Amino acid sequence: MESPELKESERRARRAYEAARLRRAVVAFAPILLLVTATALVGHRFGYTLAFGSALFALGVTLLWYGRSAKQAVLPGVAAGLVPLLFALCARQMNHACGGDRCMIFCVPACLAGGVVAGIVVGSIGVRTRRGFGFWLAASGVCLLTGAMGCACVGLPGVIGLALGYMLTTVPALIAARHAVWPETKGIDP
Amino acid sequence: MNDQPDLNALMARLGDGDRSAFGAVFRLLWPPTLRLCLSMLKNDADANDAAQQGMEKVFSRASDYDPSRPALPWALAISAWECRTILRRRSRRRETPEEFADEPMTGAAEDELLRRNLTRAAVEAMGQLSDADKETLIATFWDETAGASGATFRKRRERALQRLRDAFKRMYGIA
Repeated sequence: MESPELKESERRARRAYEAARLRRAVVAFAPILLLVTATALVGHRFGYTLAFGSALFALGVTLLWYGRSAKQAVLPGVAAGLVPLLFALCARQMNHACGGDRCMIFCVPACLAGGVVAGIVVGSIGVRTRRGFGFWLAASGVCLLTGAMGCACVGLPGVIGLALGYMLTTVPALIAARHAVWPETKGIDP
Repeated sequence: MNDQPDLNALMARLGDGDRSAFGAVFRLLWPPTLRLCLSMLKNDADANDAAQQGMEKVFSRASDYDPSRPALPWALAISAWECRTILRRRSRRRETPEEFADEPMTGAAEDELLRRNLTRAAVEAMGQLSDADKETLIATFWDETAGASGATFRKRRERALQRLRDAFKRMYGIA
């Protein structure tokens, strides 16, 4: 039987383990705050950008702290999310008669196109590296929040466009991955 | 030593974030860590404190663990460092051990003082070595082969011992 002192030692070691993981996660994901600040300065909706940026920071730190396949989804998610973010910010800067929330000339289509490209990036990584559902979920969350920081400058239609574009390419990839990869891991012939 | 491969795999899983390996890693590491601390500090209370602190350091650095290297020497090197810190603190507290200060030295007391000073000097010199050398020497102490083949390990040990001798000579002028 374990002594109470040994139990206490184990508890303290566990606390040290979790605290160290959290510290590392915060430090590793801190550079994203620069991206959030830059986007907030370039974009026009400071509040929305900060809200999406804060959610992204919280999600990224949680995934890195948790580890395993969730941790490996953070970098692809951010990389894919940068595409719609840059598309939206560039579209906003282009010389056109921007109608704000209803700008269907450049802004909303840019978010939709960015979502499509981001979905292709995440989908190809997920299928190629044969990741589980946790990876897809984590990468999608990080990717959509990163992209939403940029698309928020067009308002709700921009964010909806991003999500639609993303789903347009991710859902087929997810279905393909499910049929091609997951049965194989369960020992069932595809 | 059949636990060794399991410990390596469990430590790698823990480093990756698999919390279910935590209890098993703790139970595998605690006894050798406590033995190491007892052998270095010769005092139950200090050894328990050092082992506790060593385990906290090991688990807080679990994410740094390199799965290609054996986990036990790595963990023991971290704990040995904690013991060394306690020894240094102790030596700073009393440059001359008070139990020998008021009484004339007997032969046994002199031997004990000499042995303590030598141990302290060796631990100080070991602090000058690289982590890999420290791990090799600790693995030698625990009669481990550190995952390397016999000949490779012997060569590593020879080099580590030579570097320890050099460090000792540099610090104290004797070897």
